[in-house]
Amino acid sequence: MSTSTELPPVEAAPAAAAVPVPLETRVAAQDFLIEEAHLLDQRRFPEWYALFTDDVVYVAPVRNTRRVGNSGVVEEIGHFDENKASLGLRVRKLGTDVGWAEDPPSITRRFITNVKVEWGDHPDELRVRSYLLLFRSRGDRGQYDLLSAERNDVLRSDASGFRIARRHVLLDQVSLGTKNLAIFL
Amino acid sequence: METPTSTSERLLATVLPEDGQIPAFVHTDPDVYRLEHQRLWNRVWLFVAHESEIPSPGDFVVRDMGERNVIVARGDDGEIRVFLNSCRHRGMRLAVEDEGSGPSWRCSYHGFTFRNNGTFLGAPYQRAAYVEGLDRDSLRLLEATSDSYRGMVFATWNPHPEPLTDFLGGMAWYLDILIGRAEFEVVGAPQRWVVPTAWKLPAENFASDAYHTATTHAFLAKLGLVSGVDFGRLGYHVDVGQGHGLGIGIQDEGPWYPQELRPEYERNLTPDQLALMDRIKNFHGNVFPNLSFLIPNVVEIAGHRVTGMTVRLWQPIGPDSIQAWSWHLVEKGAPQWWKELGRKTYVQTFGSSGMFEQDDTENWEAQTRNSSATLNFEEPVMLHYQMGLGRQPLSGFPGPGTVYDGKFSEAAARSFYRRWLDLVVGDK
Repeated sequence: MSTSTELPPVEAAPAAAAVPVPLETRVAAQDFLIEEAHLLDQRRFPEWYALFTDDVVYVAPVRNTRRVGNSGVVEEIGHFDENKASLGLRVRKLGTDVGWAEDPPSITRRFITNVKVEWGDHPDELRVRSYLLLFRSRGDRGQYDLLSAERNDVLRSDASGFRIARRHVLLDQVSLGTKNLAIFL
Repeated sequence: METPTSTSERLLATVLPEDGQIPAFVHTDPDVYRLEHQRLWNRVWLFVAHESEIPSPGDFVVRDMGERNVIVARGDDGEIRVFLNSCRHRGMRLAVEDEGSGPSWRCSYHGFTFRNNGTFLGAPYQRAAYVEGLDRDSLRLLEATSDSYRGMVFATWNPHPEPLTDFLGGMAWYLDILIGRAEFEVVGAPQRWVVPTAWKLPAENFASDAYHTATTHAFLAKLGLVSGVDFGRLGYHVDVGQGHGLGIGIQDEGPWYPQELRPEYERNLTPDQLALMDRIKNFHGNVFPNLSFLIPNVVEIAGHRVTGMTVRLWQPIGPDSIQAWSWHLVEKGAPQWWKELGRKTYVQTFGSSGMFEQDDTENWEAQTRNSSATLNFEEPVMLHYQMGLGRQPLSGFPGPGTVYDGKFSEAAARSFYRRWLDLVVGDK
């Protein structure tokens, strides 16, 4: 007996952009994300904050377990829903001596991989997809939390280099395995 | 493992709410946790969903009552029912997703199928497999008693439950203000995250604890967002009765909500309720046992005074761990700017990344660990719950319950533990 399990047709790959993103630009974007992660792991928050444009949108939608065929990404609400002002308030809190959730601080290490760089919607913008693996340890019992996520950023360049104009973080858990997000993604 | 009786006796001898003394072991003792499953989660009404999460016939969400996984479903007939999420054949989960929609659930083990009103619909190859016949009625899904109050769906496994409104008691008057003042809708879906805390610690915090704000959330003053101690003190502390409690922060700068909503509020609230609503600066409480709510501090953003409302469940997943569920709700008929800024304010202040809540989780985790550490002490380590003991309540406050002037008190926490004790030690 033959059972036919027809696979759906593979969608044609999107036509390559007329002009590929030059290697140097791709490396520069990747270097930027690596440096950004380093600033966060070193808790150099004001310098990190300066990497965002004034009109930044920084979001991390909630996820749901759904049957195949449903998205399971709930864009209507997020774990983060930030603009420049609200990110600034979070950074200012970390600068006080009463930011208990991160004082004493977590020890963090951010691993940025799978970086893909494409042209953005405007000539001065790049769309950059990256994977984030965030190691976070607190306390004295050898425990740690691992957060895995896909980030889709819009980097805007000006004379001084790149700025992050948009960050969309898709965390890989429906129920987060870390007690709070007093850290940045 | 102790017998339930000896655990009860130990609790009766050491849990002394009226003296303001609660032993630390109640939070993490595995015997106490077991007793809670036998005598607490089985008996009381538990919040499971907001009606706006299942607006259409066939819609369902999957939730927990204690550690029992349930399906909250709107049947094809429009009725909301709550079923144990367990196939009657072998106990496999029927709904394996968090939410969905459809006329029936088909078990993915053997294929037993149940209509969304709970009736057994059929099994595969039924005539060949069940030659002797199949008693359809005995295969009906196990159903909890459910009821709604102001759009909030509650359920209970108690075979003889008191009516939901009796269970809520005086809290209903305050829930009217919280969520009955307008038609509310859940924005998106609840945030969920796991916090290494015993469940009663966040519950008592929301019910009773305005006092921690000035220290735990001291960043507010450091950043110049508030000044002085009055931001945490001015208002009312309400021991609602039956283990429910709340705190109401007060301001007198007039209503902060959009005036477009006022006609709806006027339709749904009594003049007393509306007058209180107009003075609210923040509003936090706990519906016994584990449903907390909050209207966070009114703050000014982008030229508007806003707040962002949340309800949350502290869902036990072990003696020292919970899954926090946090919903954001907003008035369905509100202007867009209110919805947008309210959502942002909620996410910034509470929930998984909230600037307030992140500090709370630090406290609850450390308290939980210290509670575990006291389990092998010969004498119980007693914690101090005496603030406001013997203080005279206000008279003439329009809302129900025992109401105190000023938010600094632990009366509602004492009542929370009294109700808790009465339930877990049983009816003798």
